[in-house]
Amino acid sequence: MQVPIMPAKGEKFIIPIGPQHPALKEPGHFEFSVDGEVVTGASLRLGYVHRGIEKGTEGRNWVQTLYLLERICGICSHVHATAYCLGVERLAGVEAPPRAQAIRSLVAELERIHSHLLWLGVAAHEAGFDMLFMHSWRDREIVMNLLEGLTGNRVNYSANVLGGVKCDIDARQTDAILAGLEHLEDRTRHYLTVVTSDVMFLRRTRGIGVMTKDVAEKLGVVGPTARASGVARDVRLNAPYAAYDRYPVELITATAGDLEARFIVRVQELFETYRVIRAILADLPEGELTVRMPRRIKEGETISRVEAPRGELFYFIKSNGSDTAERVKVRTPTLPNMASVLTLAVGHQLADMPMILAGIDPCFSCNDRMIVVRDPAGRGAHWTWDDLREYGIEYYR
Amino acid sequence: MTIEAATPLLTTWATDTAQPEPGRLDAVVPRENLLAAVQSLIDARWGYLAAITGLDQGVEAGMFEVLYHFCSEAVVVTLRVPVPRDDARVPSVYAIIPSVSFYERELMEMFGIEVEGTPNSDRLFLPDDWPAGVYPLRKDFEMKDAGADHAS
Repeated sequence: MQVPIMPAKGEKFIIPIGPQHPALKEPGHFEFSVDGEVVTGASLRLGYVHRGIEKGTEGRNWVQTLYLLERICGICSHVHATAYCLGVERLAGVEAPPRAQAIRSLVAELERIHSHLLWLGVAAHEAGFDMLFMHSWRDREIVMNLLEGLTGNRVNYSANVLGGVKCDIDARQTDAILAGLEHLEDRTRHYLTVVTSDVMFLRRTRGIGVMTKDVAEKLGVVGPTARASGVARDVRLNAPYAAYDRYPVELITATAGDLEARFIVRVQELFETYRVIRAILADLPEGELTVRMPRRIKEGETISRVEAPRGELFYFIKSNGSDTAERVKVRTPTLPNMASVLTLAVGHQLADMPMILAGIDPCFSCNDRMIVVRDPAGRGAHWTWDDLREYGIEYYR
Repeated sequence: MTIEAATPLLTTWATDTAQPEPGRLDAVVPRENLLAAVQSLIDARWGYLAAITGLDQGVEAGMFEVLYHFCSEAVVVTLRVPVPRDDARVPSVYAIIPSVSFYERELMEMFGIEVEGTPNSDRLFLPDDWPAGVYPLRKDFEMKDAGADHAS
C-alpha cells in the first residue's frame, strides 16, 4: 500500500487544486505531485467550511444541538439528526415509538435517493457526460418534491425530534411516493444500462481507481466505496437501527473495486431503497409519533452509528447529567473515504483525478482554482477545477 | 467479530475493561501499551479503526482521554488512553494503520495532544492564521484566545 504523504517539496512538480468552489457543495485543497502525467503523491487540506460545530454543541442544550447538527450537511442532514436522536434517546433510556422509527427510515431512504441521484449527476459531469448529469438531476426533483411534501422542507427536513418525529404520513402522501418511485425505478433501470454500456463513459470508469478488498479493509473505507470493493459493510445490516430490523435491507456489493463498480453499487442500491420504501409504506405501524424526553439527560456515554448515503456515520455522545452535552464527536464517512483517494491517486494519470475524487462521492466537491506551480509542458500557470475537468475529458477524447 | 473475540486480544495490554452498553467493550490502555493493543487487534483482523475521539476532563482533573474506536459489524471496541494534560502526547498508530493520518491531525490541532511519530502534523481543519498553542476543543478554551479575526 502506498503511503498517502507528499514527498519533500522541490523534487517533483506539485499541482495544488482548490480550495474554492462556490458552486458545488464544499471546498477542499489538494496538492498532487506529478512526474509527467503520472501522480506520485497527494495531500489534502480541509477546513475551509469548518464551523466549529462540535465545540458549538457544548454551549447549547440537547434540543438546540439537534438543529445545529442537522446543518452539518446539506445533502444528508436527516442521517445526522437520526444518529444524534437515537444516541440521546439511548442515553435517556427512552425509545421512540415504532411508527416514528419507520418514518425515520422512510425519510432516510428518500434522502438516499436524492443523494445518489445528485452524485450520479456530479460524477457524470466530471466525466463530461452532461446529458446524464441533467437527466439525473431532473429526476432528482421528483424525490425532492416528495421530501418537501412530507416534511415541508427540500433540505434540512427536520423530520426528527428528540423522542420521535414531527411529521406523519397520510394516504395521499403514500400515493404520491409510490407514484414517484414507479417513475424513478424506470429511470434507474435506464441509468444502470447507461453506466454499464456507454463506451465513452466506460473509458473513464472501467479499470480505473481500482481498490482491492484487502486495501479497502485496511483503509477502513465505508459505504458504497467499500461495498464496490466487495467489503460487506453496511450499518443498516450490521447493526440495524431505527426500523431496519423490521424492514431489512439486502447488501449490494461488487467485486471489481474500480470506478465502474462504484457506479453499479450506488445505482443498484437505489432499487433496494425503492423496495424498502414500499415495504415501509405497506406495513407502517400505527401509534404515536413521539415519546416524552427529559430535559436533562442521564450521565453516560454512547456510540451511535448510522448508514449515511456515503457510508457509516459515527457519533460519540457523552452526557454529564445536565441539559447540555459534555461532548459530541462526529466522524463523517467522507473522512475515511478521502484517505483512499490520496492512496488511489498515486500511479494514476492526472486526468483521472476528477473521476477518482467523484468516485467516493465526497461531501465536498471542492476545488475551483488549480495552479500549476511548474508545468513541464509550459502551459498556463493557473488552472481552475474546470480546467482539470476539461483536461481529463480531452485526454480521453 | 464479537466482544468475546476481542477480549483475549486485549487482556495483556488493558488495565481495566468494561461493557457500558450491549455491543460495546471499553478497555483502558496505558499509552505505552497502545501500539501493542492496536497491533493485536489488527493482526487478528478484528474490525477497523472508525474514529479517534479526544475528551478533555478539565483543568481540575488534569487529564485528557483519547478514545480509539474499532468497529466490527455491530460491535464497537474502544481503547481508552488516559493522557495527563501536562504531558499531552500519545504515540502515532500510523505505522500500523496508514489511513489514520487525518484523525491524528484533527486530534493534534483540536486538543493540543502531540501525536509522536505521525508523518504529517499539518493543520487539517483550523485556519492557517489560527494562533499557535490555542486548542478549541479543550474545556478551558475561550473564544477571545482565537484572536479578533476568529472571535466574531
